[in-house]
Order: sequence, then C-alpha cells, then structure tokens
Amino acid sequence: MKGKGFEQGKKYSLTLKDNSVMEGVFVSETSKHVFLKLKSGYNAGFSKEKIRERKEVGSVKRQEAKLSPAKSVGGKPKIVILHTGGTIASKVDYATGAVTPRFSPEEIIGMYPELSGIARIESRLVSNIPSDDMNFHHYNLLGREISKAVKEKGLKGIILTHGTDTLHYTSAALSFALEGLPIPVVLVGSQRSSDRPSSDAALNLLSAAYFIANTKAKGVFVCMHDNVNDSACALLKGVNARKMHSTRRDAFESVNTKPFAFVDFNREKIDYKEETRSSSESFSFKPFNEKVSVGIIRSRPGLTPEELKPYEEFDGLILEGTGLGHFPIGSIDKSTEKNKEILGFIKKFASSKAACMTTQTIHGRVNLNVYSPGRILKEAGVLGHNLDMTTETAYVKLAWLLSNYDKEKARKLYHENLRGEISTRSDV
Amino acid sequence: MKHDYKAQGFKCGLEIHQQLSGEKLFCGCPALIKKGTPDFVFERKLRASAGETGKVDLAALHEHGKKKSFEYQGYFDTCCLVEMDEEPPHPVNREALEAALVMAKLLNMKIVDGIQFMRKTVIDGSNVSGFQRTALIGYDGFVEVNGRKIRVDSLCLEEEAAQVVKRGKDKDSYNISRLGIPLLEIATAPDIMSPDECREVAGHIGMLLRSTGRVMRGIGSIRQDVNISIKGGARTEIKGFQDYKNIPKVVDYEIERQLKLIKDKKKVEESVRKAEPNHTTSYLRPMPGADRMYPETDVEVIIPGRVELDVPETLEEKKSKLVKKHGLSEDLARLALRFEEKNDYSFEKDFKKYSSKSLSPTTMADIVLIKAPGVAKKESEDFDVLKVKDALFSELSNGKIALSAVNDVLKEFAVKGKVDFKKYELLIDSETEKIVKKIISENKGAPRGLVMGKVMQELKGRADGKKVNELVSKHLK
Repeated sequence: MKGKGFEQGKKYSLTLKDNSVMEGVFVSETSKHVFLKLKSGYNAGFSKEKIRERKEVGSVKRQEAKLSPAKSVGGKPKIVILHTGGTIASKVDYATGAVTPRFSPEEIIGMYPELSGIARIESRLVSNIPSDDMNFHHYNLLGREISKAVKEKGLKGIILTHGTDTLHYTSAALSFALEGLPIPVVLVGSQRSSDRPSSDAALNLLSAAYFIANTKAKGVFVCMHDNVNDSACALLKGVNARKMHSTRRDAFESVNTKPFAFVDFNREKIDYKEETRSSSESFSFKPFNEKVSVGIIRSRPGLTPEELKPYEEFDGLILEGTGLGHFPIGSIDKSTEKNKEILGFIKKFASSKAACMTTQTIHGRVNLNVYSPGRILKEAGVLGHNLDMTTETAYVKLAWLLSNYDKEKARKLYHENLRGEISTRSDV
Repeated sequence: MKHDYKAQGFKCGLEIHQQLSGEKLFCGCPALIKKGTPDFVFERKLRASAGETGKVDLAALHEHGKKKSFEYQGYFDTCCLVEMDEEPPHPVNREALEAALVMAKLLNMKIVDGIQFMRKTVIDGSNVSGFQRTALIGYDGFVEVNGRKIRVDSLCLEEEAAQVVKRGKDKDSYNISRLGIPLLEIATAPDIMSPDECREVAGHIGMLLRSTGRVMRGIGSIRQDVNISIKGGARTEIKGFQDYKNIPKVVDYEIERQLKLIKDKKKVEESVRKAEPNHTTSYLRPMPGADRMYPETDVEVIIPGRVELDVPETLEEKKSKLVKKHGLSEDLARLALRFEEKNDYSFEKDFKKYSSKSLSPTTMADIVLIKAPGVAKKESEDFDVLKVKDALFSELSNGKIALSAVNDVLKEFAVKGKVDFKKYELLIDSETEKIVKKIISENKGAPRGLVMGKVMQELKGRADGKKVNELVSKHLK
C-alpha cells in the first residue's frame, strides 16, 4: 500500500484484499501492521500488505476527563507537591506502547479531588525523570527545589512524587542533603500506574497529605501501602526504606527497624511507632558533589580480583559482603591463590580511600569481629563494623560524606548516626 | 410459534460466553472455581480513570461516586499475585489463544493480523484491577443452521470476572478463584428470526465450542445472553439462562411484556434483564455504554499468523462419521461422543487399530459404552474400562477369545484389577465336544435348556455359542 503514513487522531476506513471493510481511529503502526481502535472499542492490527484501499473518514478530538477540579480551601495547611514523573504520574504512550510518565501536575490534582479537603495544594513539575535515570545531579535539583519551597510562607510540608525503583536511594539522599529540615518531606510512588482504577497511587498520596497536615514530625519519609489492602499506609524514614518486591503495592519495607508510623486515611488516624527526633540543627542544604564516585561491589563465590580493578580510581567503595560482612580473602589451596589479590586490593583501597562493608542479607547487622576474615578486613581499615544500614543508604551516605567533608572526617562520620540511619538496638 | 415474529419486527442476536479449561489466561493458576472458607482476604477501592480518548465511562463514573470498597476472597492454590493485581499479567496462555483461533476458524471468521489485549473498564469490583483484559480475535464469520446463514460479528478472548459472594451497602465481597479463567465471547449479528432459531444457533455454537476439546464443563461454564428488540419496543439483553433450551419460552415472555407496555402506551426502556427460572424476566441494570477500553500495555501484541493451528473435526462431523463410516447406531454414536469428551479417548483410533472379522466397531463401542458401565454398577465403581480395553480388543480382534467371554473378562478385571486371558481362550472343537458329552452323560434325561445352560457355565465363554448349540443338538438325542 502506498501513500503517506497514518495520522494520530484521524479515522480511517480500510478495504482489505478479502473485501472486508474495517473502520477505526488510528492508534499505532509497525512496519508490517496498522492498529485501529474500532467502533467496538477494541484495538486490532491489520497487515499493511492486505490493505487494498485506504480512506480518511474523519477525526476524533481529545476530550479532557471531567473530574472535579482542584479547589484551594482557605484555613487549611499548605502542601506543595513536587513531581518527578514516575508511576504515580503515568499514561499510555502510543509511540512505544509502554506506560510512561506523562501527566501534568494539574492533571494529578484533578484526579485526586480529596486532596483539597486536607490541605491547600500547590503543585509543580520539577522535571520528568524516570527514577532509574536519577543521579546525584537530580538529588541536588530536588534538594534545591525543596530548600526554595521551605522558605514559602505557611508551608506545612512537601510531597515528592517519584518512580518506585530508586525511590529509597532518593529518600536517603535527601535525608542527608537536607540537614535540619524543619518540615516533613514525604516521597510517594505507586506500584500500579495511576491510569488504572486499582492504582495504589490515590491512597499513598492522600495518606501522605493527611500525615503532613496532622504531624509534628520533621524529616524525609516514604509513604506507601503497608499491606495489600487499600487501608493503611506505612510512613518509613527515608534512610530505612527499601523496595523489597518488584510488583506488590506493599513493596517498601523499613529495614532493621519498625516503620515510623502508620496512616489510616479512611479512619483519619496516625499511629506513631517512634518518638519524633527533635533537632536543634539549623536548616542547611548540603548538596552532593556530582563528581564524587562511589562503587558497590557484591561478594560472591568465585569473585576475581579483576572485577575489583575498575574501582581503583573511585573515591569510595561499598563492599556488599556475605553474612556478617565477608569477602573471599582466604587462600586455602591453589585454586584460591588469587584471593590474596582481592585482600590486597581491599587493604590498599581501605587505607587510602574509604571502603565500607554492608551485608547482602539485607536484614541484620554487619559484625567484623566474629570470624577472622572479618577481623582482617576491619584491621585493614574497612568501615561498617556493627552498623545496620542498607547497602543503598550506605552508598548514598558515603557519597554525601565524601561530597561535604574531607576523607578523615567522612570516615569518622560514617559511623555516626546522622539521620536515624543507624540503630543501636536491633528490633525483634 | 407463538407470535408472528416477522410482523413484529423481531430482531435477535446472541452473545455466548464459554470458559476454557486448563490454566488461567494470564498466570499459571489452574482454571478451578473454589468455594468455602477462603485462605486469604483483602480489601480494595477502585477509582474511575480516563480512557485513551480522554472520555471517562459514565457507568464507571457512577460507581466512582459510590465510594464503595470491595472485599476479595482468595485460595492459595487457585489465586496468585496476578489475580490480586499485585503482579503484571504473564504472557498469554498459548493453549487458550489456540482454542480461540480454532474457534474463529470453526465460525468461518477472519482473524485479525495483530491481537491487542485491551483493558475494559469495569469498576463494580468484579475485576480486582478495575478492568477486564479482552482481545478481539475474529470478525466477519458465520454459522449455518437449518440452511440459514447467521453472521457472527466477533470472537474475543478475555478474562473471566470474580464471582459475587455478598453485596452490601458499603462493601461487596467477591470470590477471586474464577477471576482470570480464559473466556471466549462470541457475538452474532441480529440475524436470528425467531426464538426457536435462537435456541438452535445457541445449541450449534455450543457444539462447535465443545468440538475444540478445550472447554470447561458444568453449571455456569457456558452462558448465553440474548439481545432482542421488536417494533415500538426497546433493545433488551437477557442474561442468566439456566439452560439454553429455555430461550424460546423466556424470549416469548419478554416479547409479551414489551407488547403489553406498548399497548398501554408506556415507554419500553433499554435494559439488561435476568432470565428467571419460571421463564419470565426481571430488571437487572441499564444498558452499559461504549468507550470503556484502552490498551493493556503489559501484554505484548500477538501476531496470530505465526501460530500453527490444528482445526479439529466438529462433534457433528465426528458423529456422522461414526454412523456412516463405522456403522454405529445414532444412539451409540451420541453416547460415544459424550464418552470421548469426558475421557480424552478416541473411538476412531481403536476402530482403526482393532477392527477385524471377529471384532466390529459397534461391538467395541458396545463394550465400552454399554457392557462396561453395567459391570461397573454391579462390581465396582472404580472400574475403568479404558485400563483393560487394549488387551481385550486385541484378544477379540485376533479371535483368541469369544465375544461371549467379554462379560466375564470385564468382571474379573473389575474385581481383581487384572485379567488372566488364558482362562478365556477359545477351545478347539474337539475339546468343546468332550465337555458337551460329559455334561449330557452327567444329566441324563435333562431338558435341552438345562443342558445348554450347564455347558455354557462350564465353558465360561471359551467356545462360540453357535458351535455349542450345534454340538448339543448332535449329542442330545
């Protein structure tokens, strides 16, 4: 079939070689097929080879959804929603056939009219960044945006909408970068995109808003479903949160410590599990040095020294060890001779830069005193002994410390509990 | 015929929903409906969302206003994260897809070149996700019933919805074990001219569905919705027939109901109505609107040209073959088809393998369908003729044992679970003659009937009845 391509929003009538006539709105095309939305509502593909004749027979206009528009109600606390795209702001993309971040911030507010019953809502898009593409540059962008908003008069708190994949890295990054934060900043994502009726976005967003409007807590939090019901959300401290499931709506857990609070939006209740930390620090934004490089290397049976080499020039290294915090550094026979090189590399890196141990068991504390390989690493200057930070928080913390302090100070501060990322007690 | 349907401007189309057996459409759970105390329960809310043209479905908005919550009841062995809407759909079940494509062929349909699953917005809670996944597979087909062509507009492959357990003011409860079972939806054009024809078309399509060998059986596994309208009335969809054979009675009732309203100068509303057991209809809900679909982007587009199809014989074709080619009676052929559907067994195959001078297809069918159930009833309910039929047919086919031994062979297998065929092997005529002589001498003066009986008892089917008769006549003088 010849002629120019199909156009979005146009209606076509196709006469196929078998004489059937198909009429519908153009949706998408590949090199071999054209997809129409038929009158029945179904999309169906037709082989371009089979099209004998094509006629344009009209066009459809995009209509905006008529849901109650957002209204600002006087006397209510003010909440600013900052958007970064992500699954809480998703729409179908016909170019790729995938769900991609696309909603304008205004559309989000229109979708959640209940928000106006809780607070005066302001909303703006910081930048449309899929969470997997985020880096230190974006943490700084968000940090600056939040610092600006903090100065706004009457602000009660900030909601940051964010894709879920790396949400816990961002929540940790902002926890460190925003020192002495005088308001709650709550990160919200969704595991089922907001274009679907069963999306978890609504409850997450509304619970976050309710929490901000009714709490005295300050700092960075994550607000996501606590379980598979649309009932309660868990408020997790930004430094303890971790995505623990690829698909479930209760994917986020507080690792090695209880959630900070539970919010039951339907019953208008907040159940605190932890005392609010009072901080006398004055607010300051301490950004990341975007040139600082920290690597994460995961131990495993058969690890070779060659795999460590590329990290030689890095400023810091997170060693994600097995168990209590171990790496293959023992040479017990001929086949393990090269383990000496692994130990040599770690020793050199730990003494000249900063190497920090975490555990790939996710849950539990690092302890380098129990077995001799641990003691060897500790003596070599590896940090992290007796800490219970997640690998992700450790990575963000080390990068932030190396951004803002000299090496010695950074090494010292790594072991200090700055934002609630370390607990001295291990909750049962 | 109760009415002059033509004069009334009677128009009728059918929509048939058929559940498929095997696994669910988008996960590995078995297509099994469970009842009773659930293993787990969870609660959700649903919100209206805009479709791709920006329009929000009116019915959807209506539900949105209700702020209802939904309780879902699940079972560990038939429900997983996919039904809970806690995991995206897995790739489409290939067997179900093949069944849909085969059915499209049986309905003489054209098949779309690119199958795109859609999300059909349903926020009454019957789908945990708030939408039903559905794809258009075939269009422009037809069936021929009594020499008339009835067009078949569409065949869709979709997910079955969850089952209502309880409706409440603020909360509805659903059983999600049914959710996700593959469902074929077949819609005819309004070409049907009478309620009787509607029943016949429903029966014919049902026969074609069973011919695929992939359908679920039992109550609720197939559902017929009948769309009718008459001049001056309004389009009505009637759902929930207990048996499609009742379609004419219910449709006639609905026509009379509408005629009465027309006569009383009352407006007939378009509506969905329920077929009641007493063949009347009752109001269910207003007709649903259009514009409820947007693409299910989590499922890849399928190019069906790449799927190889093995289109089966229809049950009608099979039956006529059993009668015309193999000489079975109509009744036996009907029983044979029913048996095949239940047991994954093919008479045709055994007829090819074992037919001989001493074993006819009718005899084989008679053993499996008549004799075996008789033995099962008397001896053991666990008796499975399929476990012994190969050995039995082989002995019969080679002429090693006589037909008269069949009952004893079946009995022995039913009781012991094995058969010593040696016991039943045919005797050479001189051996038979010896036994006949022995019995006659032991029963001097006995009437012929008694002698014959005793001989047969002794022989246990090891000789042909005709031969025995001959020998008894020869020696009983």
